[in-house]
Amino acid sequence: MLSEKLRRNFGILDLGIILTMLSLVAIGLISIYSATGGHDSNFVSNNFQRQIYWFGIGMVLFLLTVSLNPKLYQALAYVIYGIIIIALLAVLVKGSSVGGAARWLSIGGLRFQPSEWAKIATIFALARFLTDNHDKLDDKRRLLMLAGLGLLPMLLIFKQPDLGTALVFLVIVPSMMHWAGVSPLILFLTFMPALTMIASFNLWTFVGVMGVLLSVLFIVKKTVLFSFAHIVLNVLVGVATPFLWTSLEAYQQKRVLSFLGLVSDPKGISYQVIQSKVAIGSGGITGKGFMAGTQTQLRFLPEQHTDFIFSVIGEEFGILGCVIVIFLFVLLLSRGIQLASNLKNRFISLVTIGVTTMFLYHYSVNLGMVMGIMPVTGLPLPFISYGGSFLVTCMIAIGIFVNFSINRHEY
Amino acid sequence: MKNHRLANIPGSTRIGYWAVLGLATLVLIARLVQLQVMHRTDYRLQSDQNRIREVTLKPLRGLIYDRNGNLLVNNHPAFSLYAVPYELRRNPDLYQRIAENVDRTPTVLKTIVQQNMRGYFQPIRLMRQVDMAVVTDIEEMRTDFPGVGFWIEPIRSFPSSARASHVLGYLGEVTTEELEENTDVDYEPGDVIGKKGIEKIYERLLRGESGLEYVEVDAFGREVRTLKSPPKKEIKPGLNLHLTLDSELQHVSEELMKDLRGSIVMMDLQDGGLLSLVSKPDFDPAELSGVISTEVWDRMQYDPDHPLYDRSVQSVYPPGSTFKLVLAMAAIANDVVKPSWSINCFGSYRLGRRVFKCWRPKGHGRIDLYQAIEQSCNVYFYQLGLKVGLEEWAKFSRYFLLGRKTGIDIPLESAGIVPDKKFMDERYGEGEWTRGMMLNLSVGQGDLLVTTLQMVQFAGLLAKKGVYYTPHLLQSIYDPISDRTESHEADSLRIESISERAYDIVREGMRLVVNGENGTAKLARVTGVEVAGKTGTAQNPHGEDHAWFIGFGPFENPKVAIVVLVENGGGGGAKAAPKAGELLKLYFDINPDQSGDTLPEK
Repeated sequence: MLSEKLRRNFGILDLGIILTMLSLVAIGLISIYSATGGHDSNFVSNNFQRQIYWFGIGMVLFLLTVSLNPKLYQALAYVIYGIIIIALLAVLVKGSSVGGAARWLSIGGLRFQPSEWAKIATIFALARFLTDNHDKLDDKRRLLMLAGLGLLPMLLIFKQPDLGTALVFLVIVPSMMHWAGVSPLILFLTFMPALTMIASFNLWTFVGVMGVLLSVLFIVKKTVLFSFAHIVLNVLVGVATPFLWTSLEAYQQKRVLSFLGLVSDPKGISYQVIQSKVAIGSGGITGKGFMAGTQTQLRFLPEQHTDFIFSVIGEEFGILGCVIVIFLFVLLLSRGIQLASNLKNRFISLVTIGVTTMFLYHYSVNLGMVMGIMPVTGLPLPFISYGGSFLVTCMIAIGIFVNFSINRHEY
Repeated sequence: MKNHRLANIPGSTRIGYWAVLGLATLVLIARLVQLQVMHRTDYRLQSDQNRIREVTLKPLRGLIYDRNGNLLVNNHPAFSLYAVPYELRRNPDLYQRIAENVDRTPTVLKTIVQQNMRGYFQPIRLMRQVDMAVVTDIEEMRTDFPGVGFWIEPIRSFPSSARASHVLGYLGEVTTEELEENTDVDYEPGDVIGKKGIEKIYERLLRGESGLEYVEVDAFGREVRTLKSPPKKEIKPGLNLHLTLDSELQHVSEELMKDLRGSIVMMDLQDGGLLSLVSKPDFDPAELSGVISTEVWDRMQYDPDHPLYDRSVQSVYPPGSTFKLVLAMAAIANDVVKPSWSINCFGSYRLGRRVFKCWRPKGHGRIDLYQAIEQSCNVYFYQLGLKVGLEEWAKFSRYFLLGRKTGIDIPLESAGIVPDKKFMDERYGEGEWTRGMMLNLSVGQGDLLVTTLQMVQFAGLLAKKGVYYTPHLLQSIYDPISDRTESHEADSLRIESISERAYDIVREGMRLVVNGENGTAKLARVTGVEVAGKTGTAQNPHGEDHAWFIGFGPFENPKVAIVVLVENGGGGGAKAAPKAGELLKLYFDINPDQSGDTLPEK
């Protein structure tokens, strides 16, 4: 039955997206091999082997994702979400840590990073909520519930602390709401407090943000009471932030500050960015060749097999390699936007745009960060960076694309 | 499904996504062009100059001494040959040139490089323990050997006549599992790590901490100079360990067990430190340090006498008659009998339809508790065992710390087995085991298993009437950087709940074992010092009986406890006791001030 449907509906675009995914994974494996073969690697090729192993798991889950009935995703959306929330809580209670942040859960020898899985789970839950309540989206209570649905995993991940991943939610949630038809103004006002919180680390940015809020309120000409309520809310958030701040541990504070660019650490993040730029720039047009990048092989770059993997590609394969990677991502993202626009069913269209947004954010922020035009937020590059949970999440996401594409006529 | 049809998404919403994707891609490509095309020469220059390499400096491993400062384990300089893959690739005949100097074919060298390749500029160790002649030859022809050099990687050497191979253990290359277990320490593939004994258990102390220095390398990865900034991280050499072993006692103990299988342990009763800890047959630790040839390893692995197996803390044995002392303690402490309680031994005891034999076929006649210990009468203890019962016997065994690990600072210690009711029920089924089994346990046979270390601790407990220290080998730690010595003080522990009277009675029996007219261990006597003890002759399914002796001295103010076990040696009195006597004599010769009381005039 499935095979029949496959034959009928599996098109050239689906084959294309699968090949794109496989190419990106292959580029990732090559880069990880090169990046972790260095002298102070305790893992030697262990990382490479593990990534292959995870790729195998990813393929199994990919095929599973493709073969399931889309209705099932809708039915199970809240269940999956609930499981992930429990897993995130478990990480906070008893997760194993790397470099001060507890992000992993070990089950039977496998280490999971629930924050990566949480992205897909949250997208499902949001799509379900937006579908079930699609005619009541101007209702305040529903908007708050919606925001809560998206912000709960975000806060749990923020607390780990993993700011880079937490911020993904801050993009996915409004993007999906927007796709579902929530007006930009309401979105702005709903997410204003989060912006206020970040801005309130500095008096002047806080004042600036409040100014923006006031002007928006003035332009849209809402009632005085409405405007007043929002200003009070945001000022309260701004005032409360310092108290929340002191409840964080010192190392968590340090992470937040360095993320916001408020501490100078020449040997830390900026060192990383400089070395990354040197690596990419010195790659030139054709690159220095596989395993022959001096920046990579002499280990000038920390984290070069995870978040900064693109610099390895840049150094060893030059602008040609980089453009191929960018081209593959553009293919993938275009297909995502196109698919989301053409799907008629509300739920699966919303899931598709949520996943596309996730990829778009990772793609632009990670590459921007590696090339020194975006702040360093600790965000991996999909399919390419080392890390099993994220690789599998991304492959499941592509599985969802293919699934929805095959089933597009029926839903 | 309800009406889930999507109202048409406004064109502006879609265009927003296309615009973000397009804009982001445009910016990224523009940035790539800026970095990789417009500024590529600048960055290439920077990366060429960016040749500051972090070099790990390996610390010297700590040394190991005995209690008197005699060196047991030393470091011996050795050279390892390395080559940089980048140079090997540029000079294809380099393999041949290296091979001409060392005992390896070019093909073997190539395989080593392929297997250990971790980047073109990462030197690869081709050989450990290269001959000094090779080092000088290659150093003289430096220019013919680009990218080839030597690391000093010392190996362990063993200057003492005492081998103590099971105590000291040996080193080996760190395995992948060990790398993963020790991520908090900067081990690298190819590093050595303690695999057994003291080398393993005190790995972290002995290893020290690696240093780091920043070296400028040229375009070929060759080190040009060491940089002052960033400042280097100093090496912290490993700490030196002083053990409680006395190398002379250890050596003589080893000699006494020459060509035998078994174990000798001597314990200083003043702090629980072990004066000697011998397991025989043993191995030559020098053979296992540095490069281990497969021939040596196979020989040790497949030796039927299992020289790698530690018979002092790892092997378990039936304790035989030495364990009668536990039963005697239980009987007196629980007031089951008075020491004057006597029986008549005719050489055997009948329980139901089974006959249990005494070791002396013609019997011991009428004897009381003291005589029963002195002459090790089985029949007496069969009957005592039935009176005391399994549960009380097991409880007292546990009081004396048997059936569990002592906590000695050596890996792979065994706990042994002390059967109790629960154990027997599980093993044989509830109600399925007989009183006859209790008779076996009463004389230290049956399911009971102990290590020799547990038995020396037991002897010490009787000697000091319940006062003890955890047996240990580490005496002090010396830090060569701060020039400070940190002593390892063992806490004094005490077994409560056993009356002093019980100790006095059982100890008197032990005194008679060595000094009585009919004692089984007269061969353990030491001139000038009163020694007490107990022999054992343990039957076992693997042939001849095991010969046991446990004891202590001096009787009044005990300083040292000893256990001797000779596997398949025969009678404890004949085979184990004389060795104990000889070692105790040596101990009191070395430590005349410890002989305390003198033998009472006869």
